[in-house]
Amino acid sequence: MSGPFRFDGGPIDRSVSLAFRFDGRSLSGHPGDTLASALLANGVRLVGRSFKYHRPRGVFTAGSEEPSALVELRGGAWREPNTRATVAELFDGLEAFSQNYRGSLRRDLLAVNDLLAPFLSAGFYYKTFMWPKSFWERVYEPVIRASAGLGRLSGEADPDSYDKGFLHCDLLIVGAGPAGLAAALAAGRSGARVILADEDFVMGGRLNAETHEVNGRSGADWAAEAVRELASMNRVRLLPRTTVTGAYDHGVYGALERRTDHLAAANGKPRQVLWRIYSKRAILAAGATERPIAFGGNDRPGVMLAGAVRAYANRFAVGAGQRVGLFTNNDDGWRTAADLARKGVEVAAIIDARDRESVAEVPGARIVMGGRVTATRGRHGLKEVALATGERIGLDCLAVSGGWNPNVHLTCHHGGKPVWRDGIAAFVPGDLPPGMTVAGAAGGAFTTAAALIEGHRAAVEALGELGLPADAGDAPGASDEAANVAPFWHVAESRGRAWLDLQNDVTVKDVVQAHGEGFRSVEHLKRYTTLGMATDQGKTANVGALAIMAEQTGRTIAETGTTMFRPPYTPVPIAAFAGRSRGRDFRPTRLTPSHDWAAERGAVFVEAGAWLRAQWFPRPGETYWRQSVDREVLQTRGSVGICDVTTLGKIDIQGRDAQEFLNRIYANGFATLAVGKVRYGLMLREDGIAYDDGTTARLGENHFVMTTTTVNAVLVFRNMEFARQCLWPGLDVHLISVTEQWAQFAVAGPNSRALLGKIVDPEHDISNEAFPFMACGEVGVCGGAPARLFRISFSGELAYELVVPARYGEALMEALMAAGEEFDAVAYGTEALGVMRIEKGHAAANELNGQTTARMLGMQRMVSKRKDCIGNILSERPEMNREDGLELVGFRPVNRSEELPSGAHFLSIGAEAAMANDEGWMTSVAWSPELGHSIGLGFIRNGHARIGETVRAWDGVRGRDVAVEIVSAHFLDPDGERLRG
Amino acid sequence: MAETPLRARPALDGYNRTVGAVALAEVSGLALVSAAVPQGGDEAFAAALAEGLGASRPATGDSTAGDRHMARILGMQPDQLFILFESPDPDRPAESVLAALGGAAYVTDQTDSWAMLRIAGAGVRSALERICMLDLADEAFPEGRVARTVMEHLAVIILRDGADSFLLMSPRSSARSFLHAVELSVLNLSE
Repeated sequence: MSGPFRFDGGPIDRSVSLAFRFDGRSLSGHPGDTLASALLANGVRLVGRSFKYHRPRGVFTAGSEEPSALVELRGGAWREPNTRATVAELFDGLEAFSQNYRGSLRRDLLAVNDLLAPFLSAGFYYKTFMWPKSFWERVYEPVIRASAGLGRLSGEADPDSYDKGFLHCDLLIVGAGPAGLAAALAAGRSGARVILADEDFVMGGRLNAETHEVNGRSGADWAAEAVRELASMNRVRLLPRTTVTGAYDHGVYGALERRTDHLAAANGKPRQVLWRIYSKRAILAAGATERPIAFGGNDRPGVMLAGAVRAYANRFAVGAGQRVGLFTNNDDGWRTAADLARKGVEVAAIIDARDRESVAEVPGARIVMGGRVTATRGRHGLKEVALATGERIGLDCLAVSGGWNPNVHLTCHHGGKPVWRDGIAAFVPGDLPPGMTVAGAAGGAFTTAAALIEGHRAAVEALGELGLPADAGDAPGASDEAANVAPFWHVAESRGRAWLDLQNDVTVKDVVQAHGEGFRSVEHLKRYTTLGMATDQGKTANVGALAIMAEQTGRTIAETGTTMFRPPYTPVPIAAFAGRSRGRDFRPTRLTPSHDWAAERGAVFVEAGAWLRAQWFPRPGETYWRQSVDREVLQTRGSVGICDVTTLGKIDIQGRDAQEFLNRIYANGFATLAVGKVRYGLMLREDGIAYDDGTTARLGENHFVMTTTTVNAVLVFRNMEFARQCLWPGLDVHLISVTEQWAQFAVAGPNSRALLGKIVDPEHDISNEAFPFMACGEVGVCGGAPARLFRISFSGELAYELVVPARYGEALMEALMAAGEEFDAVAYGTEALGVMRIEKGHAAANELNGQTTARMLGMQRMVSKRKDCIGNILSERPEMNREDGLELVGFRPVNRSEELPSGAHFLSIGAEAAMANDEGWMTSVAWSPELGHSIGLGFIRNGHARIGETVRAWDGVRGRDVAVEIVSAHFLDPDGERLRG
Repeated sequence: MAETPLRARPALDGYNRTVGAVALAEVSGLALVSAAVPQGGDEAFAAALAEGLGASRPATGDSTAGDRHMARILGMQPDQLFILFESPDPDRPAESVLAALGGAAYVTDQTDSWAMLRIAGAGVRSALERICMLDLADEAFPEGRVARTVMEHLAVIILRDGADSFLLMSPRSSARSFLHAVELSVLNLSE
């Protein structure tokens, strides 16, 4: 023996000691221990304080259902609160801390709450803290929050990384106990693709916790051998430390694999991986959870589930006490007494609630049939229990068994309701998610023999359904253990509070009170008392509470029903859901071909969707963004500027009917566009609202290339694909995106032709005569590189867009700038682009806001009535064609030194700022370096007829009220002489 | 034809790295051209494909090999195929395909649209399962199979071009994000 609580034998590796600390105290355990088993082995019983009343609590279970032994693990930014000590695998150097106390764990100042318990029952804060009203938010709630809650977050960013992944299988088996292992062996030996997932770090489930035999050998040995065999099969994937947390549609399951939680450090690898498992069939072999019996003081450290006491003894070689008692309503509980007695632990008493003959002789034990435990004593741990007869028995551990509940949770994730089965006094799965079957204890088959047979059979049946060969042999053999459970939920004669939900501190009395106050539905009961709402989701509490509720209402438990189980089965860190989508990895970034070139020159970037675009290029000495932008505009208008416009959507359109297709897509006509020409096009939605514009060039008889706005590139493509496939499947037209294929540069300004003359290969004539405004064609640049040239202008200047395959984009930018040196060429960003288009009066996203009609843009005559097109009919609705409707015009401040406020609403002089007087709004504003004052575009009622009129641009948000003059939207070169020059 | 002095920059700057049992390398030098089959032109297309590239037309989701220009024909959607090949004129691959197919398809150059990354080695499936939702097991995704999918929000075309080798193609503008995502999947795995 290594200490008074550690036995000989068992699978614990005594040759290695693991040092760990609990609340700063140095302790040691061994490989194979959980933190809980190591604490018990060191005689630590007080592990934490309870949520509400700060009552001393210890280890209650040996699994993921643990409500009490919640600790903080690790330190600093790695600190993780509310970790169940029963599933935390021990490693060398583990640091654990108890939680939820003020002062010390043994002398918690907030234990005063326990004395105030009569005032803190279910729903107390709904009643107690009603007055004065304002105190709830400012006083009561902060105080309650400060004293409640469990562990503390570190308050720092999580330093670990997380990942996600996707797995596929014929058969997913959830749980690697006897049923799961039998199923995996049957399916694996038949050659099926199998995933076997278990939340434990050792597969085998209860076989490791019991002394049952399988195929004539110890269950634990058989399980280990089965796992070895499965591990050798290349189509079987074993996922230990993996909790299947949810059942979703189409056989998809969510599973959390804890990859490094059992290691001292993650070493840069993902701590946890959230798997999405695509299964053709699934077998739920999730086992069962033991339930307690409620009696006075049943939350004291030392009171534990009987199966857990057995697990600690058989699997971990740990005695949960040195003088142990048993309180049970079934035969299974008696096995705890037998197993402990075999280990040499003193079993002092067996109290069986059933009024029948003793199940077995246990030497030295006081056996009380028809007995009741009514109270416990012991400040920080159990010292004594009292029976209904008044008898007192000294114990340091009381093992309690109220029967077992099948773990039906995953069967309910599609809305299935569990059904009550009287024979085992428990809920079993009802309607199952498609593709799922249940085997073993999860379906109420509690004996080892039944679990093995059911698991084996479920696998063979699943393979049959999938049409896969089953070559599984016979199911492993074991014995059927007796259970004989007699429902017994709580001790009516209890003195002191009898606890149902240990994590949320809910008692039998709370449930009775909730009923007394009119709560009849279990869903209401849950929310009023908070029973089952803690991180353990009431795994040890729910059924007991339902039984109490049923008693109160005079209904059966079956009639009372359960609350709804939803994913996840056990807590999943938010970080695992986020996976690697943190910080810069949250989403991808799209870069233009000239991005690195721009970055090297100190460009300031702006996000445009996923794109990063150069916004402006500051030069030394420029301290304010508008200095850069003004310079870029003036240099472009004065000589030549270059802008990367690769982000525009580009769609290659080919087919015998491509022209007819475009004629129907665009509101304006495309039937007459000649080869070698470009045309501006406006697209309407089905409802007649303008949603995108751009240019389309005709490269050949059956070949067009369209540009869209950056933001609508995908939407336009999608809509056109829909039109092609669904609206007009008879047209021979084919689409493919070439947005990524081509690097595209606007070259604008009076010297743009001269600059391009140095870039475009000399055999291509780009004179005004040979290549006029709105011409396009294929050219060679820089000595033979393939390119396309479009003579189009967004700035209003003589301008071109030059396009090369993306791999040449960066080099072309360098070549253009080098060739432009003699012209003082400038690279300009999106701000200068915006200024120039506002000066020119071009509509952009600010104007195309989803409410805009062609008429509002002054383009109503473009909507051809000689043909059909998307949106044509609905664009004729009267309200969209009112004579006094909104029209796009320009605005300038009456006092030229004032800046215009974007988003301002237009009001007549003297009108009150009220909705009824609203005449429109300012969509875009810019400082025009050319004009030397602020300019704006906007929609105002009957705008064209009101040119010259003065109105107010009223901005209630910024508190601005500016007198503005209505002018033409074309601030510069209204006749377009520059762009045709 | 004159050799352009313009420097061509590969989408991933020629990235090449081996981590543990997985090798990652940018594939450059291959041309990619889409071919759309005109309505009613299936027979003519099949004949032109056989004549011009020595290849049969694959079903959507499958690929075939041609006996000229190391061509591989990828079935992308019912009327669209991608042709991956060594172009005799690297700057004008669409014209090369147009010539080979004699106008039996509408062709579009896609060479620069997609960054091409080959991921290969014994650990390839383990790395890809962190990022690819498709089932890449032999029975579900045999050699030659091709699919459009999504990895970390990015469009991807995946072609299994060997027993332990996959060609991944993702849009050029986000190629660095894509490479980072794939590289991280490999790094997350290696010991």
